[in-house]
Amino acid sequence: MNPWMTYLIWPLIKFSIAFIAVQALVAAMNWIERRLLGFFQARLGPNRVGPWGLGQIIADPIKFLLKEDFVPARAEKVAYYLGPILPLLPSFIVFCLIPFGPPPTFAVTNNINVGLLLIFALTSTAVYGIILGGWASNNKFSLMGGLRSAAQMVSYEVPLGLSIVGVLMLTQSLELEEIVRYQEMNSWNVFPQLVACFIFIVAMNAENNRTPFDLPEAESELVAGFHTEYSAMKFAFYMLGEYSLMIVNSCLAVTLFFGGWSLGMGGIGFTTEVMQKMGWVGGLIGTGIFVTKMMLFLFMYIWFRATFPRFRFDQLMDLGWKFLIPLALANIFVTGIVLLAFPSRLYGDTVIAVGEIMLTVIGMIVIALTLVLLFKPKRPKVINASRVSEA
Amino acid sequence: MLEFIVFFFFAAVAIVFALVVILHRNPVVGALSLVASFFALAVMYVLLDAPFLAALQVIVYAGAIMVLFLFVIMLLNLQHVAEPNTRPVQQFLGYFASATFAAGLVYYVSKYAVLHALPPTRFSTSAQAIGERLFEAYIFPFEMVSILLLAAIVGALMLSGKAAVAIR
Repeated sequence: MNPWMTYLIWPLIKFSIAFIAVQALVAAMNWIERRLLGFFQARLGPNRVGPWGLGQIIADPIKFLLKEDFVPARAEKVAYYLGPILPLLPSFIVFCLIPFGPPPTFAVTNNINVGLLLIFALTSTAVYGIILGGWASNNKFSLMGGLRSAAQMVSYEVPLGLSIVGVLMLTQSLELEEIVRYQEMNSWNVFPQLVACFIFIVAMNAENNRTPFDLPEAESELVAGFHTEYSAMKFAFYMLGEYSLMIVNSCLAVTLFFGGWSLGMGGIGFTTEVMQKMGWVGGLIGTGIFVTKMMLFLFMYIWFRATFPRFRFDQLMDLGWKFLIPLALANIFVTGIVLLAFPSRLYGDTVIAVGEIMLTVIGMIVIALTLVLLFKPKRPKVINASRVSEA
Repeated sequence: MLEFIVFFFFAAVAIVFALVVILHRNPVVGALSLVASFFALAVMYVLLDAPFLAALQVIVYAGAIMVLFLFVIMLLNLQHVAEPNTRPVQQFLGYFASATFAAGLVYYVSKYAVLHALPPTRFSTSAQAIGERLFEAYIFPFEMVSILLLAAIVGALMLSGKAAVAIR
């Protein structure tokens, strides 16, 4: 094929499709989230504009467009305008790399043999928007929010990155398609990599500054954190960035741990072969399965937001560095030992290997222990006065 | 053709932003330009058929190290004050050293640079190949580097924990 087509035109087309689809989904998410939060809190949520409040999806963007666009005095102009836009770019590019359906469906960029690393590289740069916006606003609360988010996102990238190492050891590939193919032939990675999945979900919530970890915008301490000084469409861009990153992370979790577009394990069920035989209908079914799983993850984000209270900043750092990172390292270690002890993994066959079952059992024990430790009733800790004076 | 356009565009981007890093007064702008320069460098790696290195370049430098740089710069809240030039000799030596280095670089690059298509590389640049080389042939240097980093961490802990130890 013509290189211009392969490297310029097709990616641009795909980029545009991703852009429009994500815009629509984010607008819908806004309504879904408010509505669901309403139900979680035993109220109705927005239900006045149109049927079931669906008109809210259009009303909100109109409101954003019509509000006063405000720039604080003595703001760093360039950085102030760049801030909300920067997080958008990586998330939209990442959508071009995620396989939404079985191979022919989105066959534009599937030959990148470092696909997963590239996605991580791009999403790790999304933090710049928040830091920049917080710094450029010329506001102490914004700056605090930006600093917090820098510390938090750098810290939680480590467990996020370490948690996928176990998956890579099982699947032996960095290509997202290969990872999905492995899962449909063996078992979804969530079973042998239960601990990794747990770490990934926690860390991805922290990466997105979502509620148990939303310290960069903790309104009881920092007004609104890094976006205090942002109004109208610029604020909407921040929201768009946050939600599209949520969608990206949900897609990643689905691909890495929950079988991607396939529905079935051990080669049984809706696998790639079955879908490919069905032609474009199969592609649609695969994409439908993927999007359904992704929506479940988005639901989980909202569920978390409605359920968990916010962490304190030192608790957040302790969880990341003292709990999640050692756990992720232990997971790599155990996975390595089991894989060396039972090297009988059969790719392309319908045998679920002994090692995977062992890993599943170990993972369940670890998660059970963690839950017991976390929810064990304990007396409130008395703050040590001498430690406070030290700090 | 496409490759040439991409190469010269991103080479220009890398050089321009690298110049901004040294010439701009505001440290935040400098740090951000360095990030942009890193991105352009990552594109160079992709052109050299080493996408793994490109991804690592962005993850490590743009995604982690420069975020921490920015964090520190903002935490210190550096104002853009031009410091008076107190050490003219050192400044002259600095100019001289970097000019010599640049001249040497240009000379050797122009002497040995390959201005035609390179033959296919002798070893694969995939993640697997790099991992095997790193953990088989180069395991000793690899471990030495990790010990170096460990020493740096221990040193940082010693320096930052001094006050607390003294109080106790």
